[in-house]
Amino acid sequence: MNAFQIVVVSLLALLAVITVRTAIAGRARKRVTIFWMLVWLTGAAATIWPNITRDVARKLGIGRGTDLVLYCSVLLLVTGLFYVYTRLRNMDRTMTLLVRELAIERARAAALQATALGHVQDAPDQRREQEHQPVR
Amino acid sequence: MIRRRFHCGAPQYHGRERLACPYPAVYGSATPMTEGSTQAEAEPARPVEALPPEVAEGLYIVIAAFNEGKAIGDVVRELLPRYPHVVVVDDGSRDDTRHKAHEAGATVLRHMVNRGQGAALQTGISYALRQGARFIVTFDADGQHRPDDIPALVLPIARGEVEFCLGSRFLEHGDKVPFRRRMVLFAAIIFTRITSGMRLSDAHNGFRAFSRKAAECIDLHLDRMAHASEIIDQLRATELPYKEVPVFIRYTAYSLAKGQRGSAAFRVAFDYLIGRVLR
Repeated sequence: MNAFQIVVVSLLALLAVITVRTAIAGRARKRVTIFWMLVWLTGAAATIWPNITRDVARKLGIGRGTDLVLYCSVLLLVTGLFYVYTRLRNMDRTMTLLVRELAIERARAAALQATALGHVQDAPDQRREQEHQPVR
Repeated sequence: MIRRRFHCGAPQYHGRERLACPYPAVYGSATPMTEGSTQAEAEPARPVEALPPEVAEGLYIVIAAFNEGKAIGDVVRELLPRYPHVVVVDDGSRDDTRHKAHEAGATVLRHMVNRGQGAALQTGISYALRQGARFIVTFDADGQHRPDDIPALVLPIARGEVEFCLGSRFLEHGDKVPFRRRMVLFAAIIFTRITSGMRLSDAHNGFRAFSRKAAECIDLHLDRMAHASEIIDQLRATELPYKEVPVFIRYTAYSLAKGQRGSAAFRVAFDYLIGRVLR
C-alpha cells in the first residue's frame, strides 16, 4: 500500500468506528447507519483496489475510475443540498406558524383583558370563540 | 449570504441590524412623514362614499408593518375612527412601530421575529377571521394608499356583487406612476398572466379587499414578497367573482425610495416558482 492509501483507509476506519459507536449508543437510525457504513466501506475498497472503480467505469462507458467517483459524489452532494433546502423550508414554515400563533393569541388575550376592564375596543366575537378555528 | 447583497433600504439600518434584514427591501417606510410629503401633488379628488356603519363594523383593515415607526402613526390615525378595526402586524420591527401603532389606537399583533410581509399579512388575516371579520382590507403601512379609496373596494363586496376586489393603479391615473416603477410592474403583470392566467391590470398592488368567504380561502405559505402572486393564484383557484377597482397611489420621494427595488424582482420570482414546485 502506498502512503495515500494508508491515510485514506485509516481515516475511513475511524469514521466507521464513530458510526458504529453512534449506532450502539442508539443515537442514529438503523437505515442511516447502514447507509454511512456502505459509503465508508465502498470508499475503502475503492482506495485499496483502484481497479474496481476502473472496471465499473469502463462498463458504464466512463473513461476513468476517478471520474466515476467524481460524478457519484457530485450527485450525492446535490441530493444532500436539496434535502437540506427542503428541511430549511419546513423549518421556516414551522417558525412562521409559531410566531403567528403567538402574535394572535397575545393580541386576543390583551383584547379580552381590555374587555374585562370595561374598554370595549376590539372584543372577540363570542360566537367564534366556541368554534376554535385552527391556525393557518 | 445572498440576502446581504441586497439593499435593505431603510436609513436606520446599521451594522448587525442590516445583516438581519431578511428580505430585499423593507416593505414600507421609516422615513419621517414630513409636512406635505404624504400628499402627492396632483391627488385627484374623489367624491367619498361613506361606508354604512354596519359594514364598517365588520371591516378589518390589516396593515403589515416592518420598521415603520415614523409613518405608521399617521396612517392609523387617518383610518380611525372611520374604520374602527385597524390591525397592525408588527413584523419584528427594531424600532417603535408597535408603540406608535398602539398609541394611534390600532390593535397591534407582534411577530417576535421578522417573518416577511406575506407571513405578516396572513397573521393579520387569520386574526381578523378569528375576531369575526366580515370584510378584510389589506393596506400598506407607508401611507401610499388612501383611506378614501376603501369604500370603493368594500362596497361591491358588501352589496354582494363580488367576493374580492383588487386595487389597481393603472385603471385610472396610470400616467402618474413613475416610469421605472411602471417598467417593473409591467413585467410583474406579464409574469402573473403567464403563471396564473389572470388578466390583471396591476398584479402587485397591496390594496385589496376580501369578503370573509374569500379571506378564508387564502393560506399564504410564501413568507416574503412572492405572496402577491400567491394570493392571486389562490383567489383565482376559488373561482369567486372579483373586480379591479382603480385606486390612487401616493408616490412620494420616500415611498419610492423605500419600495421594492427592481432587482428584487428576481428573488421574488425565484421564491414564487419554488413555491409552485414545493409546497
